[in-house]
Amino acid sequence: MNGRRAGAISLRILQQFRHDRRTLMLLFVAPIILLGLFYFLTGGGSSLPAVDVVNLDRGPLGAVLAADLGQSTEISVTRTTPSRAAGDLSADTVAAYVVLPPDLSARALSGDVIAPTIHLEGTQPALTQPVLLALDQSVTRASRSLAATEGVRVPVLEPSLDYLHGGPGLDTLDYFGGAFIGLIVFLLVFVVTIIAFLRERSQGTLERLMASPLRRADIVVGYIGGFMVVAAVQAAEVVVFTLYALHVHNQGDVALIVLLTLLMTLVAVNLGIFLSMFATTEFQAVQFIPLAIVPQVLLSGIVFPVATEPGWLQVVSRLLPLTYGVDGLRDVMLKGNGLTSGPLLVDIAVVVAFAVALIGAATATLRRSAS
Amino acid sequence: MTTQPVAVSVDGLTKAFGSIRALDGVSLTVGAGEIYGLLGPNGAGKTTLIRSLVGLVTADAGTVTVLGRRLPDRAVLADVGYMPQAPALYADLTVEENVRFFASVHDLDRHAGAQSAVDALEFVDLSSRRHSVVATLSGGMRQRVSLACALVHRPRLLLLDEPTVGVDPQLRAELWQRFTTMSGEGTTIIVSSHVMDEAERCGRLGLVRFGRMLAEGTSAELRRLAGVERLEDAFLVLSESSS
Ligand SMILES: Nc1ncnc2c1ncn2[C@@H]1O[C@H](COP(=O)(O)OP(=O)(O)O)[C@@H](O)[C@H]1O
Ligand SMILES: [Mg+2]
Repeated sequence: MNGRRAGAISLRILQQFRHDRRTLMLLFVAPIILLGLFYFLTGGGSSLPAVDVVNLDRGPLGAVLAADLGQSTEISVTRTTPSRAAGDLSADTVAAYVVLPPDLSARALSGDVIAPTIHLEGTQPALTQPVLLALDQSVTRASRSLAATEGVRVPVLEPSLDYLHGGPGLDTLDYFGGAFIGLIVFLLVFVVTIIAFLRERSQGTLERLMASPLRRADIVVGYIGGFMVVAAVQAAEVVVFTLYALHVHNQGDVALIVLLTLLMTLVAVNLGIFLSMFATTEFQAVQFIPLAIVPQVLLSGIVFPVATEPGWLQVVSRLLPLTYGVDGLRDVMLKGNGLTSGPLLVDIAVVVAFAVALIGAATATLRRSAS
Repeated sequence: MTTQPVAVSVDGLTKAFGSIRALDGVSLTVGAGEIYGLLGPNGAGKTTLIRSLVGLVTADAGTVTVLGRRLPDRAVLADVGYMPQAPALYADLTVEENVRFFASVHDLDRHAGAQSAVDALEFVDLSSRRHSVVATLSGGMRQRVSLACALVHRPRLLLLDEPTVGVDPQLRAELWQRFTTMSGEGTTIIVSSHVMDEAERCGRLGLVRFGRMLAEGTSAELRRLAGVERLEDAFLVLSESSS
């Protein structure tokens, strides 16, 4: 090893960083953004899952318990009637509702196990845990506070779980399978397009195309056409593998899964063309993965439910196409929703809108790139 | 010359990149079937001028008319062939795939494109390498593929930006012979170069420096104007007197 020669390489690398401020920024700014996101997503300032509580107890424990649940630091509780609660759950405005049965106090007094029913939405496992935890804590506190006056001892809590969708038969893979189909396809197609388009720019062939009778829309549509052929095969492969080799639970129409996957590809192709405008080298293009993709993955509700994000992050999540793709795939695969379902139609419509907007943005981008 | 229809006319073209004046009021008229040479040192503005003839550069001032159409005009580009200074090709495609791609981009159908590709590769003497992937070719060969891509659709106007860089002398002479033949058949050719012996083969020359047109004329006219024997010296004399 020769110190001076090696030193020349180190110096050159530092010089290159000096000329490429963007990369430098990325190295110092991206960690703060990503760690900050993690902080907010894993608790710091996040919203609590919304839970309805229905108290049917004829004794004193139910009221005390419901009041205590209202103070919970795990969930955000609204007290309501059984029919309202069921409506909220199917409209997806609450993560769960808890029914405190009429014999709650009676059983607690006689030292029996108590069995409130927890009705879970069921497609978001991350939302189940806080509800169980909150109930457990409140039962202990509520019965302790009644120990002196009513003689209640801390009862054994055996909640019965009722799932609106999915159920105890589903495992982690079932919950994440659908979301991952969307994510994997989106990510791969995005990376391939942004690199392909950047190469078109850097090798000068884009300029040649601009000097031909081709219109900008021809180029964008041509790219879409080429990539969609490959993407269609990829979508079929991914869906077949997920459903028939991995046996991921699917409640819905396979054609809808393929449709959503293809729509995500369409978004990814045009996002790639659009963002390639903002990169001058392949190196910079690859930087869009931590910057444009990782936050989307964190914020799209794949792992951290959108509903428990802090309010302002929920706004950001609602601006990301992947959020709707993931939600749509879960609607189909876990809830078995079809084209008659409003929420699914909304998801599809939003993804289509993103695709159309990005096709426009990609075409406009080409206009700017020819000086 | 004046009776010839005009293929290209440029009037008062000006383009600045920041503080650099790449074109500074260039005017020029090229008749149909002419071979017009743009001669000038590096940075003179030749590439910028050629790029503005295909609408790749939006000028700050001045007008460009190509084959009777005032630019910007996308449709007229079907009749124009542009060979950029650096061979812009798909390195992962074969020679033939590249040439056929540019044929289709210029509106040739599959059959016509295939036939034209054969002819174009014949023209640049690369028929034997048509199945080679471009990435595996030498620099001079890539330059020739790039030329084939520019003329595959038999354009009425051919713009060549330093087309023979890296091409060996024998093939260079052959290429120039073919350019002359094409011009005889009515194709207008505008070619940039900083090589003087190529300049001798052009019908008319424009000497460009600092984005300005210093002088125009045949090689003989320019030499007479400067009062020297060799074109190279004429160039030096004329750029001295202008600055
Ligand atoms: N896209 C561009 N951005 C900035 N400067 C440019 C650009 N294109 C050309 N120039 C500058 O314009 C001048 C003329 O360049 P060019 O037309 O390429 O000259 P030539 O082809 O005669 O060598 C040079 O100084 C060059 O640096
Ligand atoms: Mg040049």
